[in-house]
Amino acid sequence: MITPYKLKSHLCRFCTFYQPEDKNVPDELKNYKNDLPNLEGFPYPLPSKKTDYTCCAKTGDIEWFGASNGLTRYDKNAEREEDIIMYFSAPRDLLDNNVKAIMPDGDNVWVLTETGATYVEMRLVGAEEKADMLLEETLKYVSRRGMVSQRYLREGRNFDSVYPYADSDNDGSFTVGFSIGEIFRYATFKREKGADHPDTLKAKEVATKAVEACLLLLHIHCRGNGFAARTYLCTDQPVPDDGLFFRIKDGKATCLETTDAKKKGYVGTVIDASAEVPERLAKLYTDLGYTKNDIIYKADTSSDEITHHFLHMLIAYDHLACDDPELGELIKSSAVGLMNHIIDHGYELHDFTGKPTSWAKWSKRYFDTEFGWVDGALNSAQVLMYLLVTMHITGEEGKWREHYDYLINEEGYADMTEKHFDRLYQASLSGDFIFVEDIMYGDHMLAVLAFFGLCTLEKDEKLLAKYRKGFKAWRTSLEREHNPGYDFPYAIACPDEEIDMERIAEWMYRTNKSRLAAGVSLKGRHDIPVKPLKMEGKEISVLLPPDERFISKYDRNPLFLTNEDSGGIMCIESCYVYTFAYWIGRYYGFFE
Amino acid sequence: MNNKIHIIGNAHLDPIWLWRWQEGCGEVLQTFRCAVDRIKQYKGFVFTCSSASYYKWVEEIDPELFEEIRKLVKKGKWVPVNGWWVQPDCNMPSGESFARQALYSQLYYYEKFGKICKTGYNVDSFGHNAMLPHILNNGGMRCYVMMRPGMHENAEIPENLFWWDSPDGSRVLTYRIPYSYGISGKHDIDRELPLLRERAENTGHGMMMFFGVGNHGGGPTKGDMDYITDLMDNGFEELEFSSPDDYFDEMCAKKLDLPIWSDELQHHASGCYSATSLVKQLNRKAEYWLANAEKWNTVSAKISNLPKATEEFGKAWQEVCFNQFHDIFCGCSIMEAYDDVRDSMGYAMKIAANEENKALLKIAGMIDTWLDGVSDAQSLNERHHCRNLKFPRPVIVFNPNSFEVETPVRTYHPSKKVEDSSGNSVVFQNVRSSRSNDSHLDTVFVAKVPALGYATYWLWHADSEFVEDGTVASDVSASELTLENKYLKVVFDGETGGIRSLVNKEDGAEYVGGEFCIPTVVDNTEPDTWAHNIFKFDKTIGKMSLKSIELVENGAARAVMRVKHVYGGSYLTQDFILETESKHVRVKCRVLWQEPLTILKMPVTVDGANPISTYEIPAGFIKRPCNGEEEPALTWGDITAGAEQRKGVAIISNAKYSYDCPNNTLRLTMLRNSIFADHYSDRPAADFNYCDEGLHRFEYALYPHAGEAEESGIQKIAALFNSRPVTVPAGYHKGELPREKSFISINKHNICLDSFKYCEDGSGDIVMRLRETDGKAVRVAVVCDIADAGFYADFRKLETKTFRIDSEGYVTETDYLEGVAK
Repeated sequence: MITPYKLKSHLCRFCTFYQPEDKNVPDELKNYKNDLPNLEGFPYPLPSKKTDYTCCAKTGDIEWFGASNGLTRYDKNAEREEDIIMYFSAPRDLLDNNVKAIMPDGDNVWVLTETGATYVEMRLVGAEEKADMLLEETLKYVSRRGMVSQRYLREGRNFDSVYPYADSDNDGSFTVGFSIGEIFRYATFKREKGADHPDTLKAKEVATKAVEACLLLLHIHCRGNGFAARTYLCTDQPVPDDGLFFRIKDGKATCLETTDAKKKGYVGTVIDASAEVPERLAKLYTDLGYTKNDIIYKADTSSDEITHHFLHMLIAYDHLACDDPELGELIKSSAVGLMNHIIDHGYELHDFTGKPTSWAKWSKRYFDTEFGWVDGALNSAQVLMYLLVTMHITGEEGKWREHYDYLINEEGYADMTEKHFDRLYQASLSGDFIFVEDIMYGDHMLAVLAFFGLCTLEKDEKLLAKYRKGFKAWRTSLEREHNPGYDFPYAIACPDEEIDMERIAEWMYRTNKSRLAAGVSLKGRHDIPVKPLKMEGKEISVLLPPDERFISKYDRNPLFLTNEDSGGIMCIESCYVYTFAYWIGRYYGFFE
Repeated sequence: MNNKIHIIGNAHLDPIWLWRWQEGCGEVLQTFRCAVDRIKQYKGFVFTCSSASYYKWVEEIDPELFEEIRKLVKKGKWVPVNGWWVQPDCNMPSGESFARQALYSQLYYYEKFGKICKTGYNVDSFGHNAMLPHILNNGGMRCYVMMRPGMHENAEIPENLFWWDSPDGSRVLTYRIPYSYGISGKHDIDRELPLLRERAENTGHGMMMFFGVGNHGGGPTKGDMDYITDLMDNGFEELEFSSPDDYFDEMCAKKLDLPIWSDELQHHASGCYSATSLVKQLNRKAEYWLANAEKWNTVSAKISNLPKATEEFGKAWQEVCFNQFHDIFCGCSIMEAYDDVRDSMGYAMKIAANEENKALLKIAGMIDTWLDGVSDAQSLNERHHCRNLKFPRPVIVFNPNSFEVETPVRTYHPSKKVEDSSGNSVVFQNVRSSRSNDSHLDTVFVAKVPALGYATYWLWHADSEFVEDGTVASDVSASELTLENKYLKVVFDGETGGIRSLVNKEDGAEYVGGEFCIPTVVDNTEPDTWAHNIFKFDKTIGKMSLKSIELVENGAARAVMRVKHVYGGSYLTQDFILETESKHVRVKCRVLWQEPLTILKMPVTVDGANPISTYEIPAGFIKRPCNGEEEPALTWGDITAGAEQRKGVAIISNAKYSYDCPNNTLRLTMLRNSIFADHYSDRPAADFNYCDEGLHRFEYALYPHAGEAEESGIQKIAALFNSRPVTVPAGYHKGELPREKSFISINKHNICLDSFKYCEDGSGDIVMRLRETDGKAVRVAVVCDIADAGFYADFRKLETKTFRIDSEGYVTETDYLEGVAK
């Protein structure tokens, strides 16, 4: 039973940066004199050491404290506990951390630091409004031929300096995340505003393009055997030295020279690329003037990509195919092709070598290996989900059902789905790690997608109970994140489980309005205990609001002690981290 | 090979049981010497031994032997296990006690051997509380060896090897010894080995066989060694000398899908939670006193030049930890052993008393208590300084708890008026003192004291003519058989002396649902001291008869009903005390018990469907079915029932550890009068000594509440009941400290401060241990200005976290080992 939570408009940070000589910086800021704050007996933990605070100012009831390592905002009347003390740090909120002066300007403040000035505004932003702002940013600066991962800048913080190209090892996964969010946005608008409302039509357009971009990866390689590419580039962009890339030309594809290809002896290998890309999908690049001969695709695809694709095809089919039969057929044929490939290759994704890729293995023979034994709990759930999705999309059982039943009854796959925590814990014990160190944080999304699919499609009560138990085996590590992108699917799949809507609200409220990956100054915070890990690095003892921790995708430990994850002020991340969670929550009624 | 049998050479050593500690110490020395000899004589042999206190004995008495052991540990031939001071009882020590067991032991092992123990090992302990996985993990151990209860006592617990989870989500890989920890002799070995081989075949994983003469030590005999090595040389390839550490390493490397157990491991010896009340009472008192005294030492040393007493506290805690050994704490050792326990606990508590006193007086001396004119020349013909009639005397009330308290406190001498430091009159009452001379009266007044802080109160002597009478009206009233305040109305039964009605005014509900506070005598003839094979004490042989009931106090601070019961040659006097604005009734008991082989229980009954009993356990709480089995608990037990409106009554105690709950009735086991060390009741004719014979003084409390126990605030009430504010009469002086101050702020009610101490490494860093009490995940903000620290932390339900604060106020999350041992 879902009780809708009322999300309100909430304060969001808007920081504008100025060089010292900028004419927009008020002259009086440079000589502005602040009082020294009196923090004796201050009732809350402070981000900086008390003796590091050098200046203070007031805007109404709000107090601002400047320190040699950042800016603190104190709102003793804040409705939410986590909003009482807010920390602003460089490079996300300030040019640098050495605050020299704070000059009030109405409700806002000018902050003078060592290297310039920052104008800090706190504006009320609604949850949907924030989703729109983030989507607009992504479509304008991050999207390329419908794929969204991240985009680099030539000049820090200058969005207009964005490089014309980009790539990601997991373009398929990240774009699927984006696409699912946009599909639910469309489905929500359709329900709330009607199918013909301009907002609905616009949402449909965005969602459809995202779906096409994802489906294209299942065909772009032109192998014609149901393989899936990780990503693709066009020939006018540099090929990263990371993995195996094939350039298509005249019905053949040649393996390009990369460190990985050299190491494996594949450079120059020529393979078949004679299959055609469905025209509707090919338009994503042909409309830009490219042809099949301009395509370079990346192989050695992992189970991450495949799992994302299957769950994506399920959601896209359910929400878009009814109004777009052509798209429905494309989804259906794509699912069948991919599923057949996996079945025909003994529950593995095989590359041009005739051998499985590094990480796309769902076979018993893999699960019987030392490494595969731990992976078995997740990967068994994945392949069962693929089969259920294929049955659902095709409306047929037959072969899919046979394999599904075989894996459950003969190979024990459904039972294996329950073993995640036990096996991972044992592995951590064996390696003398603490459990949380052994978690692959990217696996969280895979588990969520796999079990969400299984729990929403399976009708057999016994199997459903197993899958729910399997999903719950992930709760210990999922719960550490308080991430609605995980918690909502979990609550839908396991209705008897509780999720903490207050922590989710905090996550929604405190996500930045931009995905510029600028870091924060977490290291050195005085109010956050750190915990050394056995393997390497440190964790923090409290999950910080998103606007005070590093920006990442759904694949990092949010408690890890680091100031920055991806490219900092030189990188814009995709909006999907927020929009995926928000629109699922909205569609399923978690929000009023 | 899946059927490998790891042959674990060990010696179970009871330092006290049917002998006193001096003999146990001697046996440790002899056993260790023998083990060293066996290692030298037999190739491949590995010896496993627990209990840091034994190693310390050897180090102090026979340093040469210790050096040999040190070298053997380095070579992996001698394996210390269980990073605790002894193999304690695993039900009754507090969470903080377990932390200290690990702290002093693992640091000792780390210092002497360069590594800590990674396997927990309590092979003889009589049951294992549900929080142990978390406690073990916090002490650096992720694997565990236990044996009791055996399959004949609880067949639901998985056999052999299993994952054991605690409610917070912690986990240990646990091996349940199937037969014995002390197999010795050809006959035993021939019997056990085939059974273990069969288990190994059936489970697909290896097993362990623990051999060596035990209890009074001894270890592997030459005969055992010869026989086992002979087996190894003659076709029994699956046998291998090993250690629990190696066994678990090997198991972790296998692909095992093991069963999971998410509950406590009970019961083996259900009489042990109540046998020998003396040791239980001493333990409870010492645990709280030491923790509180160390908090005050830390505060005081931080703000003044008072020396840190970390080493002294270590010595004291080591005594307490030693006395938590299962045969001691469980009350099943010989009578003479408890003379030693009394001395040992006395030593520990004397340290607590000394350090607390120094710390509090130091702080009190820094508080500004000066009153203008107080130094003017006066002619006082008085014997006592506190009879200064012209000025009120300052009394500093120190609260060691991490939450604000408002509670009556007591000082000597009567008063005419009591004021707080803002000049407000506070509720007070002159009550009968324990002395027969002087005024015969003491003052009880209501003090409001901040978290880990103090407040100054001003007491005008009763004889002062310089002040008007300061009596303040309160909510307390009483009549012949009734006590009443703002929250409660208690009506006694004039026939039985029990409680006939207990109304919680907040919900208007009646909480008496049957038998309530009628002391009940239960037969204890059949059970031995442990109560082996007996899990219920349900043979009622009588009720104590009411001798008198009398309202003895009726004032503003409290009203007191004195109820006296008799049975045979014994009596029980209970003072039911209802204090102003209190939500619980405090009961001060004095029992003179002379009935052999009996149990005295105090029942409370709540009516309603779906009864469930809830108990505090180390570092947490647990819910158990109301099946009448005797259950261990720490400071409180609770019965809650009702199909829709849930009502509960908790019994809190300051000295007891045992309850049962048949259906809707919760019964506190007040004493259990068994014969000392009566093992399986083989009783020759003799004039026995009984372990609960004589005079007992202790307190319990009744707390009626709406809703489930863990949501009722019981944890704080029980903490305050066991951790009372301390009153310190002060002089008049100028000082840098204000008249009221808190040294810590914790902004969530379900986070409590178990420990506030200096780090053991002498760095001057402060260690703060916090614990979630209500079973609800929470984010907490902690501010501690004297440590220059303020920080946030997330807690899982029932999670304990230890933080280390450096001199700059930066905080590291660590564990019981304080980041000293890696």
